[in-house]
Amino acid sequence: MRALQGLRGPRAPSLPLLLLCFLAAVRRSLEDGLSTAAPFTSLPVQEEMMTEYSNLSLESHNLSVTAAPITSLPVEEEMMTKAAPITSLPVQEEMKTKAVPIISLPVQEEMTTKYSNLTLESHSISMTAMPMKENNKGNQICVDRGIMLQRNVTLERPNMPAEKNITLERPSNVELTCQFTPSGNLNAVNVTWKKGDKLLEDNYLVNATGSILYTQYRVAVINSKQMGSYSCFFGEKKQQRGTFNLKVPEINGKNKPLITYVGDTVVLICKCQDCLPLNWTWYSGNGSVQVPIGVPVNDKYVISGKHANETRLKITQLSEDDQGTYWCHAIFELGESEGHVELVVLSYLVPLKAFCAIAAEVVLLVAIILLFEMYTQKKKKPSDDGKEIEQGEQLKLDDSNGIENSGPRHRKNESVGQ
Amino acid sequence: MAYRAEPPDGGWGWMVVLSAFFQSALVFGVLRSFGVFFVEFVAAFEEPAARVSWIASIGIAVQQFGSPVGSVLSTKFGPRPVVMTGGILAALGMLLASFATSLTHLYLSIGLLSGSGWALTFTPTLACLSRYFSRRRSLATGLALTGVGLSSFAFAPLFQWLLNHYAWRGALLLVSALSLHLVACGALLRPLSLAEDPVVGGPGAQITSLLCHGPFLRYTIAITLINTGYFIPYVHLVAHLRDLGWDPLPAAFLLSVAAISDLVGRVASGWLGDAVPGPVARLLMLWTTLTGVILALYPVAEVPTGLVALTVAYGFTSGALTPVAFSVLPELVGTGKIYCGLGLVQMVESIGGLLGAPLSGYLRDVTGNYTASFVVAGAFLLAGSGVLITLPHFFCFSAPTSKPQDLVTEALDTKVPLPEEGLGED
Repeated sequence: MRALQGLRGPRAPSLPLLLLCFLAAVRRSLEDGLSTAAPFTSLPVQEEMMTEYSNLSLESHNLSVTAAPITSLPVEEEMMTKAAPITSLPVQEEMKTKAVPIISLPVQEEMTTKYSNLTLESHSISMTAMPMKENNKGNQICVDRGIMLQRNVTLERPNMPAEKNITLERPSNVELTCQFTPSGNLNAVNVTWKKGDKLLEDNYLVNATGSILYTQYRVAVINSKQMGSYSCFFGEKKQQRGTFNLKVPEINGKNKPLITYVGDTVVLICKCQDCLPLNWTWYSGNGSVQVPIGVPVNDKYVISGKHANETRLKITQLSEDDQGTYWCHAIFELGESEGHVELVVLSYLVPLKAFCAIAAEVVLLVAIILLFEMYTQKKKKPSDDGKEIEQGEQLKLDDSNGIENSGPRHRKNESVGQ
Repeated sequence: MAYRAEPPDGGWGWMVVLSAFFQSALVFGVLRSFGVFFVEFVAAFEEPAARVSWIASIGIAVQQFGSPVGSVLSTKFGPRPVVMTGGILAALGMLLASFATSLTHLYLSIGLLSGSGWALTFTPTLACLSRYFSRRRSLATGLALTGVGLSSFAFAPLFQWLLNHYAWRGALLLVSALSLHLVACGALLRPLSLAEDPVVGGPGAQITSLLCHGPFLRYTIAITLINTGYFIPYVHLVAHLRDLGWDPLPAAFLLSVAAISDLVGRVASGWLGDAVPGPVARLLMLWTTLTGVILALYPVAEVPTGLVALTVAYGFTSGALTPVAFSVLPELVGTGKIYCGLGLVQMVESIGGLLGAPLSGYLRDVTGNYTASFVVAGAFLLAGSGVLITLPHFFCFSAPTSKPQDLVTEALDTKVPLPEEGLGED
């Protein structure tokens, strides 16, 4: 149970921490381009402090899920400008971190120093139980290391699970932050973190500003064991949950099946957007079994790749056995990712049969047309012998050409071809 | 051999219309929808798109330059054998293309072989159509030419479906089977013997007489000028719209709208050409002037509604000028010389067609937008319509359409007893 008992407890947080909080708020407003120049008179001092921690590279992605409708966004923005001015500083002084997380601070510091050569990534989810109140709306994030850049995107859907997918390729320090606006008392909220189903005991801190509760979890992701799903839980009347899914980059194969013919050569390509895998491997699958494609026999399989973010499998001398699904696996330090390409091998007979059918139909059409014409010509021919008598009949027969004769003809024979 | 005094104007003529409809569909529809194959060729041969598009260019060039050959052959042997041979050649070209291993292979098989097959089919068919009709010639031509527009709609999705199921090799094989229907269409072209056939002589004599025929030469120049400006909007409209900020999907949709109004224009103009008395050249001048004016107005229009209206109007007028363009020729040279006449016109006008699009592209590169290209295209069309004014009987409001007998007496002074003497008996 991590209830916020010690909120009004000892004013232990160090001055640098406070200044950093204020700094973060100021930076945050600056980043958003909101104009409140007046409170920033102490900016030069802050700049100094920022350079101290600038050796850590930082990425941050933000996803806020709140119950409030999107129209409250301008209100938020407003609030943030209001939060910036110095007048809010007293509020910050009151704002406290819990006693227990403070104890865990040294652990975090230790961790970060051990992995300080890794990049730091920060991700945040915010949830509310009810519409935002007009007052006490601050948006500072407290950190003890590094500078946070934060951009909030507000979606509105009450009680929808807040989830964020994070793509990681290389080992890095990851900082996950959940912020929550409870409807009732801040102290009554129970905050927990879980990885999958396992409850996490340490490495996180809880914080509160005004009526917003923040909790932050840090993890150094160095191999695939640290990847997975991390969730923060706020236990109030109804438990709210925010989930961060740590994944390796996705690989794109091909959605449409590739059609080839027996004896052809085909190149299967897998690629990913901006990733640099350590290695690529190919498997051919029949059903659910994946068989690795090993040493090429007679150069049947050639694996190559022009750039690091793609791989090509060239298969020569295709036969119908080569039909099926091919899987490409990209191996990262943090795990594996796969894509698939479907290959269809047809024999030449398939289109050839269709061709022959259509050709036969054409021959039939031509035969019908020519026979019809010969038939109508034949009907005319016998009458040519008796020129005088059958003149009237001939006029009728000429109607096979649909012509109304205006005058007699010199010669009665019509040639079929010139 | 019995010679008709006048073209039948119906009856089997409508079967010829049907045959011409399918032929224009199979020749130009296939050419226009070939773009679907280009993507596959680019991927399969790993060549740039510019080199792949040469396939269609070679095909069109061979079809147009080879038109006189088709004409000469059909004057000698009649249209039926020539068209059937052309159909077999076209299908053979596609068949060989399905075994292609390089781009050169495709240039030769589709470009050269199929192109010459198409050259042997299209011109003789249209000429034969002109011989079968006199009073309803424009309508028949208009109806036959709608095959081009309709097939572009049908073939593009069909080709895509074929590609999805058979890959490009199998798809080419089946397009070859489709092209075999040209042979069946050729079988429908029953030969027709008209009164002036023995008078005008063999193909060599015909061509010589045509080249000395003033009105024919003027007409050829006019058609060439028209052709130069005609294709520019089709080629550059989408790019012009994208320049103005349109998204690709609405721009492509607008092109489809233009194609539909083109269809309507063809049939309407065909009907109108027959209903209005007097030389058809006047209608051609009317439609050409309108098209030229519309093209010149294009740079002025910026508003979407204005552009849509202009495009619909352009589609209608440019479609309207095609059937009358083909109808003017028999009036000028007579149905006896129509094969050679049409072949020559096609050959010369193709120069205009080949020059038009690159010229427009060059102007765009120099000036930065399509204003100059559209204006120049409009200018070409107006110039063509200006030349049309010089055609004979242009300003006569009571002059009927020339009878074959008049042309026979005009064309050659010959000692052959003229058939109309015999026709006078009854």
